[in-house]
Amino acid sequence: MSGTSEAKHVLRCEDIEVSYGAFKAVTNVTYEFKPGLLYGLIGPNGAGKTTLMNALSGRARLSKGRVFLNDHEITKQSPHARTWAGLGRSFQITQIFAEMTVFENLRLAAQAHRFRLQPFWSPVGKFREIANDAEKVLSEIGLENSAHVNAGSLSHGDQRALEIGLALLSEPKVLLLDEPLAGVGHDVAEKAVELIRRVTEGLTVLLIEHNMDVVMEISDEIIVMLAGEILASGEAETIKRDPRVRTAYLGEEE
Amino acid sequence: MNAQRLLAFLVAIIISAPLLLPDGQGVGLVNAILIWSIFAIGFDLVFGVAGMLSFGHAAFFGVGAYTLSLLTMRMGWDFIPSLGAAGVVGGAVALVFSYFAIRVSGLFFALLTLALSQLIYIMAGTKLRMLTGGVDGIAGVPRPDLFGIDFYDDGNYYFFLLAVFILALLISGLIRISPLGQALRAIKSNEVRAEQIGFNVQRLQRSVFTISGIYAGVAGGLLASLIFYVGPQMLHWSTSGDVVIMVLLGGMGTLFGPILGVAIFEIMREWLSTQTSHWYGILGLIFIVCTIGMPKGIAGLIMQLWDRITPGGKS
Ligand SMILES: Nc1ncnc2c1ncn2[C@@H]1O[C@H](COP(=O)(O)OP(=O)(O)O)[C@@H](O)[C@H]1O
Ligand SMILES: [Mg+2]
Repeated sequence: MSGTSEAKHVLRCEDIEVSYGAFKAVTNVTYEFKPGLLYGLIGPNGAGKTTLMNALSGRARLSKGRVFLNDHEITKQSPHARTWAGLGRSFQITQIFAEMTVFENLRLAAQAHRFRLQPFWSPVGKFREIANDAEKVLSEIGLENSAHVNAGSLSHGDQRALEIGLALLSEPKVLLLDEPLAGVGHDVAEKAVELIRRVTEGLTVLLIEHNMDVVMEISDEIIVMLAGEILASGEAETIKRDPRVRTAYLGEEE
Repeated sequence: MNAQRLLAFLVAIIISAPLLLPDGQGVGLVNAILIWSIFAIGFDLVFGVAGMLSFGHAAFFGVGAYTLSLLTMRMGWDFIPSLGAAGVVGGAVALVFSYFAIRVSGLFFALLTLALSQLIYIMAGTKLRMLTGGVDGIAGVPRPDLFGIDFYDDGNYYFFLLAVFILALLISGLIRISPLGQALRAIKSNEVRAEQIGFNVQRLQRSVFTISGIYAGVAGGLLASLIFYVGPQMLHWSTSGDVVIMVLLGGMGTLFGPILGVAIFEIMREWLSTQTSHWYGILGLIFIVCTIGMPKGIAGLIMQLWDRITPGGKS
């Protein structure tokens, strides 16, 4: 099903801009994300990568432009509504329920997804489903042995895996991952890449990552940001050869 | 016996004191404890469970007191429907507050709720004087007239209050373990993540704030009938301060802690006020010392001690 020019987009942003005062953290960004592809988002620190994710997931207010998910405009929707619509995400700074156990973390995410519009009271029968959902994801992210450990005392790498698990429980179609590999050791990073590949099968993924080897290897398409704008985008080979990218970014890093 | 049961046991002893002591001694004090406990249990749903520090709960408490008083005295309503109305009005005012205050968090939330409740306090003393009796308040608030029992007898009224208290405690216990209670825990723990997994944070916060307002309204109505009087003092910010202190002292976020906090606060208020006219200042001082010495309140301290004297008790 890996469509070429015919594949329609699942997520689309149209001339979006996020400004903090006079400073434009993201500007002029128009992009269409096709279903089932993994997009690697790169660019120097402060380029606006996280802000772009915030704009897509509803955490940053747009000063201009529109965002569409499956052709429905979500520009004005709050983050939870976008989650319901199929947009999951992890954060650059890990966001978990630190003083709850891993299983409780996952169960809450399952609850948020299943109960949606009836969050107060629900048939007891449903509670079993929630636990089942949580257990399924628990083994998917390989944390079975830490189910009853407080999430805050997990290793950094395991916390990142838990974050991905939390996002998966909302059954997203689009997954935004903000530097899920940052700060983890080489071996762990390898396992994490494997995990990301496995759990994002069939999903559209936008992944921010600084390690060029990793990005080039796992991305179907690469987006390069600089000073709030998209400088270039395309397949790994094209990006590697792009002179603008080389001077602006690649040359600087290595 | 685990620590949780020990706390329940302590609470049971306190609230059944009039039955245990000769001649129903202490019934006046226990009646007040029951009513303030209803207030504190409801307050802790917002404070301890959802993690929002409100300084405006005096408004819901006072409005509930006025509602019950006016409906029974001016409109000729029966006591029970008036008490229900006190809860409804308390909850409605809380809902209105929440629309203003929930946009902001932390200190700003506390300040905004404080400002809104002081607005109501000032209005009750001035603009609404015709309705509220101004600074004089309204005297002669009745008690229930049910089953031919004389509830003007404190010993009898105790049973009525006990029933409402148990109901309030049960509902609070259920809310804590319900999906709503779990979602609120999540919001308290990490609002960003709670929102991102799909919880409608503001709606959930508004819901619990409203429920808490119902608790406060009912408690306010009951206090007015206990002391046969309602005045603007019940709307004053210091009433909000009292309930914050009670819950902190007892142990926020625990089911039984707030009740222990109320009991100690009320016992000290009763005892200290006979000793010195500076009792409120002394109470404040004791409170500061206590919160520094035991950040998880009395409930936390008891649980800690219990775990220590029962080796292997945690299994
Ligand atoms: N909430 C904010 N207020 C003000 N400036 C911000 C805010 N968030 C991000 N910025 C600024 O926007 C720019 C882009 O930040 P960010 O998107 O985090 O970059 P990246 O993720 O690419 O490293 C930075 O200069 C940062 O200081
Ligand atoms: Mg970033």
